[in-house]
Amino acid sequence: MDAIIARDLTKTFHTIARRPGFVGGLKSLVAPARIAKTAVDGVSFSVREGELLALLGPNGAGKSTTIKMLTGILVPTSGSVHVAGIEPHRDRERNARTIGAVFGQRTQLWWDLPARDSLAILRDIFGVEAEEYRRRLSEFDDLLGLSEFWDTRIRHLSLGQRVRCDLAAALIHDPKIVFLDEPTIGMDVVVKEQVREFLRHQVERRGRAVVLTTHDMTEVNRLAERIVLINHGRLFFDGSLTELRSRFGATWQVHVTLADAPAEVAVPGLRVLRHDGPRVAFGPGEGATTTHEALRLIIERYAISDLTIEENDLEDVMREAYLHREQVTA
Amino acid sequence: MSVAQWRVARVTPLGEFAQPARITGTAVRLAAQVFLVVCLWRSLYSQVETSAGLAREQAVTYAVLAVLALQIRGLDRSASRDTMLQHIQEGTVLYWFVRPIPPRRYYLVRAVGDQLYGFAWVIVGYAICLAAGAVKPPASGGAAAAFAVSLLLAQIIMYQLLLAVDLVCFWTLQNNAALTILRFLQNLLSGVIAPLWFFPDWFLTMSSVLPFRYTLDVPLSLYIGRSAVGEAPRLLAIQLLWCVLLAGLTRLMWRKAAGVVTVQGG
Repeated sequence: MDAIIARDLTKTFHTIARRPGFVGGLKSLVAPARIAKTAVDGVSFSVREGELLALLGPNGAGKSTTIKMLTGILVPTSGSVHVAGIEPHRDRERNARTIGAVFGQRTQLWWDLPARDSLAILRDIFGVEAEEYRRRLSEFDDLLGLSEFWDTRIRHLSLGQRVRCDLAAALIHDPKIVFLDEPTIGMDVVVKEQVREFLRHQVERRGRAVVLTTHDMTEVNRLAERIVLINHGRLFFDGSLTELRSRFGATWQVHVTLADAPAEVAVPGLRVLRHDGPRVAFGPGEGATTTHEALRLIIERYAISDLTIEENDLEDVMREAYLHREQVTA
Repeated sequence: MSVAQWRVARVTPLGEFAQPARITGTAVRLAAQVFLVVCLWRSLYSQVETSAGLAREQAVTYAVLAVLALQIRGLDRSASRDTMLQHIQEGTVLYWFVRPIPPRRYYLVRAVGDQLYGFAWVIVGYAICLAAGAVKPPASGGAAAAFAVSLLLAQIIMYQLLLAVDLVCFWTLQNNAALTILRFLQNLLSGVIAPLWFFPDWFLTMSSVLPFRYTLDVPLSLYIGRSAVGEAPRLLAIQLLWCVLLAGLTRLMWRKAAGVVTVQGG
């Protein structure tokens, strides 16, 4: 069942164009020129219960604006959004009980209070029963190690400790749907892994739908079942990691050492990138898109004594995808 | 709104209790302010018994109560990174819109908590000043009752004024200048700097058509007997009118603010 359904979601911001210089500033003051900027443009996708979806894109692509519309903070200019059957911006109170959210390094906890007091205040806001609250806090403590620092005031916590508290805060009322906008930004690898484990637990064991934005490709690799790519406010890919690789990651290289050293090497469908004696590097040409297919073509023609395959890592794939989108837009 | 949600009011007091240095600082500041104000007004009255229609003890009582009342005007939460301006500039105001308590009510409950905490300071300070003879008891039982009602309405007006200036942040993304102007106007036109009776008539007339006078001068004038109890119904009615007008304005601003919520830095 779909937990989130977004259809043709569009958000246009209207701002005043500031002209440069002193005279320009005065002109802007006297005769302001309003400009419209479309941050999200006709985005449609859905997220199932118990699914983790990575919403990815370069900086300024429209990810955070999309999340703010899905959480009900921003009102869409057009299109529709339903989160657990609720239109978030129309029924913010009911929506708030269904969702949890962490927005990067922005904390929702009170700076001067110990973490445990902050969580207790959120318990009161969400009306969580005392016994339920104790049970959940204990579970979060097991997964995130909160008790090591929950009596410390928020202002004295490290970034990693604070974000772990924020994750607990976002889930204290047991929401079905969780929005995480770059939750692990700036964290060390140990804490990142702990947070990833926590998220995996929430999706697999608790069946929560999670929408995650991140620039950390290791995180995407380890967590995401499905990826939605946005650039310039438009969605241009919605599929699995494997589909993403096959569409944008075909810049692999196959390095082979041939049993003999022919003067010329050619394989239909492949490009020869380097040829140095028996050592040859092939890349994708026209027709061959997978390394598996390339190997078959090479072995059919030549006897080989050694081979290595270099596939692009996910960052390269994402770069390809973003650039591809830029070219399409241009 | 549930009873449990009212517990949000305890955020500021809990934060203060977690830092005893802040409580000590407030106590020292308040004691010093009261002492200096008493010295100043007794000195000003050293050559005369009555000035601007106020007897010496009335003037001293007015000035001391004005200092104490500042404690309930609204705490400065900037050290706790908890002002509306900070929440909007840092983007944490987002969370106000993903909780099952509307931002308007959350702001109200927090303000009630802050004012009750400030009121506790006022009660303690008042008891000490009364015992030390720095303030006199209310002019009469009727004056005490009128003062209590007027003080409550004064707090509501003050709350609405501060809220309106805070809400401006949703459009301007800053309100430092507006807050400074508001505090200056409130200090000048409400009697914090000096009882309004010492100012020229035109100033009194001007302050009577603005809301600031009704945040402090009116209740204090009733307390010391400078305004007769017979005038109380008229003064309370004007205070009530300001409460209604400002409540309407802030309600409208909240509704508009929810539609323009933007967050700095993505």
